[in-house]
Amino acid sequence: MSFSFDPYSPAIDADPFPYYKILRDEHPCFWSPEAQMWVLSRYADIVTAGQDWQTYSSASGNLMTELPGRAGATLGSSDPPRHDRLRGLIQHAFMKRNLLALEEPIRAVARQVFGQLRGVERFDFKEVSSQFTVKVLMAALGLPMGDEAIVDEQTVRDNAVLMVQSDARTRTKGPEHIAAYNWMQEYAAKVIALRRAEPRDDLISHFAMAEIDGDRLDEREVLLTTTTLIMAGVESLGGFMMMFAYNLASFDEARRAVVANPALLPDAVEESLRFNTSAQRFRRRLMKDVTLHGQTMKTGDFVCLAYGSGNRDERQYPNPDAYDITRKPRGHLGFGGGVHACLGTAIARLAIKTAFEEFHQVVPEYHRMQDQLAWMPSSTFRSPLVLDLSTR
Amino acid sequence: MTTLTYIEASGSRTDVDVPDGWSLMQAAIANGIDGILGECGGSCACATCHCYVDDLLMAALPAPSASELDMLDNVSAERRPNSRLACQIKASPALAGGSLTLPETQE
Repeated sequence: MSFSFDPYSPAIDADPFPYYKILRDEHPCFWSPEAQMWVLSRYADIVTAGQDWQTYSSASGNLMTELPGRAGATLGSSDPPRHDRLRGLIQHAFMKRNLLALEEPIRAVARQVFGQLRGVERFDFKEVSSQFTVKVLMAALGLPMGDEAIVDEQTVRDNAVLMVQSDARTRTKGPEHIAAYNWMQEYAAKVIALRRAEPRDDLISHFAMAEIDGDRLDEREVLLTTTTLIMAGVESLGGFMMMFAYNLASFDEARRAVVANPALLPDAVEESLRFNTSAQRFRRRLMKDVTLHGQTMKTGDFVCLAYGSGNRDERQYPNPDAYDITRKPRGHLGFGGGVHACLGTAIARLAIKTAFEEFHQVVPEYHRMQDQLAWMPSSTFRSPLVLDLSTR
Repeated sequence: MTTLTYIEASGSRTDVDVPDGWSLMQAAIANGIDGILGECGGSCACATCHCYVDDLLMAALPAPSASELDMLDNVSAERRPNSRLACQIKASPALAGGSLTLPETQE
């Protein structure tokens, strides 16, 4: 049987890594009829494509399965110079030195959320990680919380998780995914209206009121960028926390090392970003013909950058299938790379370190309760839907 | 491939063959140059790939963009006239033989 790589297949959701190895070794520039796009799987090719936005454009969308009407209006789905003016408005808030004010609030959220696990012997890690991510994101973006909240936190989380999924059978977004996306847009619109009426010193207020060279951002940019910040913040942070907990629950030696010495957490986080980060694949579209490994990809073709495969490329990382928290995998693609590298790297690193410091204070020993897990159906992201852990 | 020399604050020099089109930050971290952090991944958002470029690069490079100039305000070591962010410099044959010196600190 000839090799196929279908990013909509449940087998790929569950374990893409054996497929990635065949792609890298035998089909480094592979046309997937199921996905209707080329797949690049080697580290060096992905880095090259990620740097060359003139050739590998994001303006036709960056999600493997794009949401309707979104392409071109968000940071991830636009090219410079449009991209740079949007990013210029937002990135300042996400710089490491500007996150100091969030350290204490994030710590307080982590204590409260993970404190609930005191004395609990069995739990789904998603229950706590989703509470944590939504609260952290609300604080970081300035979404109405507590008495001012206009929706409950769990609803935000549920919709953020649904909108990044895709249907394995139809290979598109299903009605439930579109409904979640629409819900998130309506929520973002309400928050924007609230902050415009009474601006505060928060990210969404600044963004909603911003003018560039005297021009307001267009309404679609404000709405869809805000929608994407909420989606990316909740789903990406939550998905990565699930993967980090999954790794620590699976590899006893690594878990015991970071529990005994929390100073090792940042290195363990970096290795998890390399080993099996939740953001597995993103998409670009060619602006000119490119010939690579004997194949010619045509102008207008879509190309998948399989970050999760580049991170396992033995040409870049020796013994790539070992989870080794002493590896210090510099240059990994866990946050993508180039002009579209993740905006939230600093807050993600801070939030995850804080969360697991507090989690391990309460739960120093834990294991997975199931060998087989149910994985999220998504052509872009990968994380388990449920992660039952036991402290015994 | 274009060969450039990275000079760390300690004085140690490493010649790196950089694929054309790669940023000098990306090439540094893929080749184990410790004096560049590149925390944000190359999107001009963290100022931890600060470098001082030599005369050859000064002459060969296009001027920094507005966003690079903005971000250069945030470097932690001394900012000099030849300060650049390595993530914003793409390798090309015109840069062959150039060198960049890395500051004592990036954060």
